[in-house]
Amino acid sequence: MTEKLDIEVKPATAEGEAKMYTWEEGMDWNPVEKVILERRSTRKYKDKQVPEALIRRILEMARFAPSAGNSQPWRFMVIRDKKMIEDMERYVRLRCKILKFFLDWRTSPLGKLAWLYAQMGARIMPNDMHPIPMSAIGLIADGKLDLFHGAPTVILIFKDKRGAAKPEVDVGICGQNMVLAAHSLGLGTCWIGFVELLKYGIKWRRKLGISFPYDLAEGMAIGYPVAHPDGMIERELREIEWYEGSQWKTVL
Amino acid sequence: MAYLTWKERLKIPTYDNPEYARSGRVVIDHGKCNGCGNCALICPGACLYVAGVGKNKKCYLMEGEFPDCMSCNDCAAMCERNAITVSQTYDFGYFYKILHRGELSPPRRF
Repeated sequence: MTEKLDIEVKPATAEGEAKMYTWEEGMDWNPVEKVILERRSTRKYKDKQVPEALIRRILEMARFAPSAGNSQPWRFMVIRDKKMIEDMERYVRLRCKILKFFLDWRTSPLGKLAWLYAQMGARIMPNDMHPIPMSAIGLIADGKLDLFHGAPTVILIFKDKRGAAKPEVDVGICGQNMVLAAHSLGLGTCWIGFVELLKYGIKWRRKLGISFPYDLAEGMAIGYPVAHPDGMIERELREIEWYEGSQWKTVL
Repeated sequence: MAYLTWKERLKIPTYDNPEYARSGRVVIDHGKCNGCGNCALICPGACLYVAGVGKNKKCYLMEGEFPDCMSCNDCAAMCERNAITVSQTYDFGYFYKILHRGELSPPRRF
């Protein structure tokens, strides 16, 4: 019975300060909600390197993410070498130029053939050929958009293809843990999906050790942001279907 | 319950055609904007630019060719003077039509 007495009695929180682990209607954001709502992708970083211990702390958060069957189908690679980051950026830019040549019918010398490739590609890979990444390919190829935005540290997240159930979802969950932790610690992050193009180069497959069972899934740029990009914004509402009391209703 | 008709499913929109594609749009309050250029620096679609000199240095949204604004609102979060608001979200026709989406709203406390 003596152990029970060791439970610390927390002092009541001050007026207006948001409490954790409790809810009342219309209360202020608690710290976790605040970090979730204020997180924005950072697309310009300071040159200052992030301390190693801080990156280790963020990676520690990833280790404790939920995964299907506790299979933890992830592997991390931290790249903090400026030259290597520039090389990766150059390679992805080259790949984007090649893709733009074959797929962007507005500028490609292939003309109508490029339009045909784009239409076929969109049917085979509707996610990769979504108009937004397609225009990003054009911007990266033209040098209007950076890949890593000058980040001093890049984390590559690998997915173990043998993971239980849905390894790509698990990789996403562990990445979100890292992103939220990084923002709560005063850093900025940005998901870089275009690192995927690195796996199409034999040189980079060897250099990064991309081979079975690992597959390069996502990249993440981490660093100190220029100015203050974090903040709450407006977003579209999503329709939610709600079934209760044997009736359907749609809420926004 | 079909969310897309077969015609919509089979037709892939070409994003440069304004009939099928509507890009995002931001409104910049030039009374508040001081042309610091932070928004143009971070815009992932490279669709903001700064023009003008001295007091007339202001930020503008690209016009003419299809701007790549994806209404991500990062510029609005970056702007310290609250000069930017997103007025229109992006949408595409046919295959990439966006479903079940409502109006823009800031986070709501329930």
